[in-house]
Amino acid sequence: MSQVSLTVNGKAVSVDVEDRTLLSSVLRENLGLTGTHIGCDTSQCGACTVHLDGRVVKSCTVLAVQAAGSDVMTIEGLAPSHDPSGATLHPVQQAFSECHALQCGFCTPGMIMAVTGLLKDTPDPDEQQIIHGLEGNLCRCTGYVNIVKAVKQAASALRA
Amino acid sequence: MTFSRLEDRRLVTGAGRYVSDWNFPGQLHAAFLRADRAHARIVSINTEAARAMPGVRVVLTAADTAAAGFRSLPCAAPIPGKGGSALLKPERPVLAGDVVRFVGECVACVVAETAIAAQDAVEAIIVEYEDLPVAMTAEAAVAPGAPQLHPGIPGNVAIEFETGDPAAVAAAFEGAAHVVSLDLHNQRVVGSPMEPKGCLARHDASTGDYFVHVCTQGTTGMRAQLVATTGVPDEHVHIVAEDVGGGFGLRFNAYPEYSAIMLAARLAGAPVRWVASRSEVFLSDEHARGVTSRGEVALDAEGHFLAFRFNFLNDMGAYIAPTGPVVAVLSIRACLAGVYRVPAAVANVRLALTNSVPMAAYRGAGRPVISYMIERLVDQAATDLGIDPVELRRRNLIPTAAMPWKTVNGLGYDSGDFPAVLDKALGLSDWNGFSARRAEAGARGMLRGIGIATFIESTGGGASPDEVEARFGDHGEITIHAVSHSHGQSHETAYAELLASVLGLPRERFRLRNGDPGVRLAGNPTGGSRTMHGVGSALRVLADDIIAKGRELAARALEAASADIEFDNGVFRIAGTDRSVSLDALIERHAAGPERVFDTRSSARTGSTFPNGCHVAEVEIDPATGVVSIERYTAVDDAGNLLNPTIVAGQMHGAIVQGAGQVLGEHAIYDLETGQFLTGSFMDYAMPKAVNVHGLTIADHPVPTPTNLLGVKGVGEAGVTGSLPALMNAILAALRPVGVTHFDMPATPARVWGAVGAARAGDGRRFAHA
Ligand code: FES
Ligand code: FES
Repeated sequence: MSQVSLTVNGKAVSVDVEDRTLLSSVLRENLGLTGTHIGCDTSQCGACTVHLDGRVVKSCTVLAVQAAGSDVMTIEGLAPSHDPSGATLHPVQQAFSECHALQCGFCTPGMIMAVTGLLKDTPDPDEQQIIHGLEGNLCRCTGYVNIVKAVKQAASALRA
Repeated sequence: MTFSRLEDRRLVTGAGRYVSDWNFPGQLHAAFLRADRAHARIVSINTEAARAMPGVRVVLTAADTAAAGFRSLPCAAPIPGKGGSALLKPERPVLAGDVVRFVGECVACVVAETAIAAQDAVEAIIVEYEDLPVAMTAEAAVAPGAPQLHPGIPGNVAIEFETGDPAAVAAAFEGAAHVVSLDLHNQRVVGSPMEPKGCLARHDASTGDYFVHVCTQGTTGMRAQLVATTGVPDEHVHIVAEDVGGGFGLRFNAYPEYSAIMLAARLAGAPVRWVASRSEVFLSDEHARGVTSRGEVALDAEGHFLAFRFNFLNDMGAYIAPTGPVVAVLSIRACLAGVYRVPAAVANVRLALTNSVPMAAYRGAGRPVISYMIERLVDQAATDLGIDPVELRRRNLIPTAAMPWKTVNGLGYDSGDFPAVLDKALGLSDWNGFSARRAEAGARGMLRGIGIATFIESTGGGASPDEVEARFGDHGEITIHAVSHSHGQSHETAYAELLASVLGLPRERFRLRNGDPGVRLAGNPTGGSRTMHGVGSALRVLADDIIAKGRELAARALEAASADIEFDNGVFRIAGTDRSVSLDALIERHAAGPERVFDTRSSARTGSTFPNGCHVAEVEIDPATGVVSIERYTAVDDAGNLLNPTIVAGQMHGAIVQGAGQVLGEHAIYDLETGQFLTGSFMDYAMPKAVNVHGLTIADHPVPTPTNLLGVKGVGEAGVTGSLPALMNAILAALRPVGVTHFDMPATPARVWGAVGAARAGDGRRFAHA
């Protein structure tokens, strides 16, 4: 067992976990942050995507002990990071809703976290960059058509 | 107005509640031991070491399910077999005790304090097996001398269906000027909803009640199957579900794991949760398609169709899934002759058992099997006879004036305007400009092809009426209950918008609760693209019933006869006066009283509708790499009236890309000798990605159906029913000029590259299944 201290969505937390525990399990099971989803066991689907020290990672592919001392942001922290009052959504969340880029919503938290990271690195992506940026995230419902649209809309909203 | 759905806010903020998100105090965790071989007798199961592992509370094997009185999982045939024959039903245990029949079949279940401890203990169970020979394809299973999977099912054929008139067809073929035939394989795929299936069961020992949290498409079917399997009385089984992360047909049935978890919860005396890993999903979710078929068409000298003859051999897996036979036969029967005027047709469908995961529904559920057969056969006929594929279709389409149309096997279509749908698709796809685009592509060394499919499908009629209920809360909120469960179809928004528009109230007033254990309604799970015509019609009745109640209250309030009261846009008015009262005010005055006067339960019964469309696909193939790129895709659909066009377009996008997934790469593959599953992860199973479809145009040509109150036909599956044949016809059109004469899905780069090379060497059929 190891004690792991980290910051999650701006709050300092500390958990005791087996060394083999994944960051995704800590978020979901220890901290109750169930917005981070688990869709596979081979690092393909991206449903578990979070930000680790500002970088996009698949939380199912990071050991909790590796994240010790880090700053993690999950989907639950995204809107508050943009508007602490909680009244408005983050522009990427807003764009997903307005473009009908989600149906069942299971892939959505991971998609949104991945897109938020993509737009930080590439504020004005072209179609090819968007498609490339979404390669690590699977969606079975939308056919990605409206997700690509949402990325474009969010990009222009964030640049404005 | 900007688009948004009522369900979106919780889903984009991570506040949705899927099965694995539920937690209860004292909750334990389960894991399953699965068969690691395809066909074997179980000699012994030793669970001693597992029981002694730290944190382990319960270990279940077939002995425990037998002690609990569990029965075989249910299955049934929707119609009698040929000559009135009945379905031969394989016994399907929750946990295998004597024989395992596919890799991944459940053998034991361990419950422990943590999921990891349960998994560790599963690995400590020792099973001694005696291997048996395997039958991995339907063809192998029905061959003489094949290993027999079940006692009492000789030749591994569970049933054979026949629909149509074989004698009339034989006569038509005899007198035909031309006969064209085509062998096709519609490969096995895994539906792969993004939420892995799971189950959390709670048992209340004082009442005997079970609360079963599962991924579901609707509580009624799920509950009935759990009752049939576990023997727990219906009134004690309560299905609970909120958000469901995709279903596509795979979340209709009660998987054996769910019954095991119920028993585990009772024996452990604590809530038990099990969530499948993706590896388990691949090994245990129902697979789909897996159909080998032969189609023949007889034509007269002018290219008019005289008869269709089809033979389907379906790989059903090791057992018959509850919805398996429905998927195998009903769509074929309903749309036997497609959109064509054909005087005679017949189809024969044989269900074969193999050592693989049971087969059931996946988006389309048989619709993309018959549409794929018919539309590829029609293209083959056009090629063989040297007739333009559009012209051949036009010559044979059922004319609009002939509606309603009676099909050759006695069923029929109520409405449709097939020629107009075709014309619109040709225009939007710039069909006539194709040759210039092909020439331009050819100059770049690329093979370009255009393909068309004119298709029809039948939506689910439903096994019972659909009931809906409105409950008026104390704070003005109106909660709608229905059976048909949303797993992405936007029911919450669609229902609210429908009610809001009729009642003149804001849509935000409405909440939707499916899967509420406190409310028992009759109704059908989501499936067969039927929710808007089934539940939608019930909601329309509900709105009228609420208005009728309001009218009586308004008459009293306005001191008028109710016959004199009009209702418009949320307001009751004495006709011809300005004396009025709003529905909202009446709700505020009366809804919260002890009689709950506005609370209403209503229902509707609808039959099948017939969505139809014309899809045109245009692909480009790089002969040097075999990569197929979808350059343009035009879908024109008659889904009847559309309630929310953005949601409808979303359904089309998703289904078209699922079709593209099967055409371009998805393929569930078993090793033919060992029966091991070779494509058991997203590394091996090619899910479609954002790159797959460019230039998508979605348009509609609605012909409202007179068969339901809303005039809607349904839209959930048309995308895949159209895209399989349209895309493959386009790919064949691109490949024929280099000599490929036949090609079966999937069109992966390796197969396409291989087909081009083989064709250049003189073999145009190398990548045909048969
Ligand atoms: S759960 Fe992390 S990539 Fe699938
Ligand atoms: S919205 Fe269902 S998986 Fe993406």
